[in-house]
Amino acid sequence: MSKGDKFPRGQAAIAGIGATEFSKDSGVSTFTLASRAIKAAIADAGLKIEDIDGLCTFGPADSVSPNLVAQGLGIQSMSFYVDQYLGGSVSMSMVGQAALAVSNGVADCVVIYRALNGRSEARLNGANANPAKIPWDVQFKMPNGYIVPAQEMAMNARAHMLRYGTQHEDFGRIAVLSRTNALDNERAMMRKPITLDDYMASEWIADPFHKLDCCLETDGAVAIVVVSAERAKDLPHRPVLIQGAAWGGGITLANNGFDDLAVSPARPIAERLYSSAGMGPKDIDFAEFYDCFTYPVLSQIEGYGFAEAGGVPDMLKDGAFDRATGSLPFNTHGGLLSEGYIHGMNHVYEAVQQIRGDAGSRQVKKHDVALVTGQLGYVSGYSSATILRGA
Amino acid sequence: MMSQRKVIPVPSRDTVPYWGALANGHLEVQHCQDCGKWTWPPRPLCSGCHGENMAFEQVKGTGEIFSWIVVHRSTTPDMMPYLPYTLALVRLDEQADIYIPGRLITDREAHRGMRVRAVPEKITDTVGDLAWTPEA
Repeated sequence: MSKGDKFPRGQAAIAGIGATEFSKDSGVSTFTLASRAIKAAIADAGLKIEDIDGLCTFGPADSVSPNLVAQGLGIQSMSFYVDQYLGGSVSMSMVGQAALAVSNGVADCVVIYRALNGRSEARLNGANANPAKIPWDVQFKMPNGYIVPAQEMAMNARAHMLRYGTQHEDFGRIAVLSRTNALDNERAMMRKPITLDDYMASEWIADPFHKLDCCLETDGAVAIVVVSAERAKDLPHRPVLIQGAAWGGGITLANNGFDDLAVSPARPIAERLYSSAGMGPKDIDFAEFYDCFTYPVLSQIEGYGFAEAGGVPDMLKDGAFDRATGSLPFNTHGGLLSEGYIHGMNHVYEAVQQIRGDAGSRQVKKHDVALVTGQLGYVSGYSSATILRGA
Repeated sequence: MMSQRKVIPVPSRDTVPYWGALANGHLEVQHCQDCGKWTWPPRPLCSGCHGENMAFEQVKGTGEIFSWIVVHRSTTPDMMPYLPYTLALVRLDEQADIYIPGRLITDREAHRGMRVRAVPEKITDTVGDLAWTPEA
């Protein structure tokens, strides 16, 4: 018996999805972005705003809080909320917590949303870092300019290169694959094809990362409606069951006895995730991996059990992840690298479209079971992931 | 030497001794007086025995590079003059799971296992910063 076995497997479902346009400048507040996405998601679910009794969001204080959204939408019966500080590492914990709430009856209709003006207002490039307000280990990194996520992840990527001989081109193949998947996605911000040569020629940000290893800064919002699996049966779309979820972690470099950056921090999460879902890697039809940068995708393919450590480069060359023909299509919409960066909630949106069979030219052949992940540990120490299954 | 900085660390109540030691030219790390484990970044309880009996003690200030990146883009004004520069993650000689990052002062290319020593730099009377440089 593992802790994952206690998860209310498949008892909650995603019944609606909504999104705004993804852009470099929304021209509106995160309050407006959130409200629009929530309205769209509720309409998609065939429900009314008055049905909402739970709201969840997360972010480094750059989303809009559930209490404000509730007031703005005139919701007077809130019985569940999460307003989680931190970024992509906690994104899929929203899905897990919403599932806990609706499956045990604490709430009937929980909307998860993430709204951000990540390009036009609150950029994550470190320029606005306030020395008086930064926590713990970042305090010691900041004076040397070690302040942005690209640098942290590049440090990990280097460790993997040293241990397994991973090459720049291997990261490049992930960038090219993501861009290729974005070409026919009308939501995607980046729809110009790139080649491996383009990747290699793109400017350095933090060697070993080029610019094309990095995701996009985006303005936009996504909202997801979670209800009980029972209730979802009576709503318009194929219910997307929250089959399993796990969140937690603990592996960082903050002197906790962990001494190998090349090992995937997805491993401890993966064990509990699969246990919660009663499934294993072989049951997954496609994946939406948190791709703030290219390397974390490679690390997750290993950590979630789809490859031996060091085995991903050969699989990339063999086309194992190609959307039309591969055994594990991933980031079928172009991911955070090429669709946009809504802190991972756009991964859920895409997974739901795929499971419903509504992904148009992007539709993968086998689309019943999806793995959707949040950012790997390393930086905050948290990871999170969910497995979604079409009913 | 004293340097002019635009971004000056603001010590928390738990980290005043660390920053002060750097201002005085030393790298000091928490050392458990009961179980002997070294701890960094500073924290309330020892990672080994969960006791509070820790003291900041000077370490040798030497270690080896475990990983590194070369920063080409930065938003930190104080680092702009150095671009591109190497940021190294240094494993302290005292204990294998302590990694302390810092700018690497050298013209040479970094490599894993490169021996380095700490270079404390005074920013104010109470706050210093840490960089690394090759031992030889």
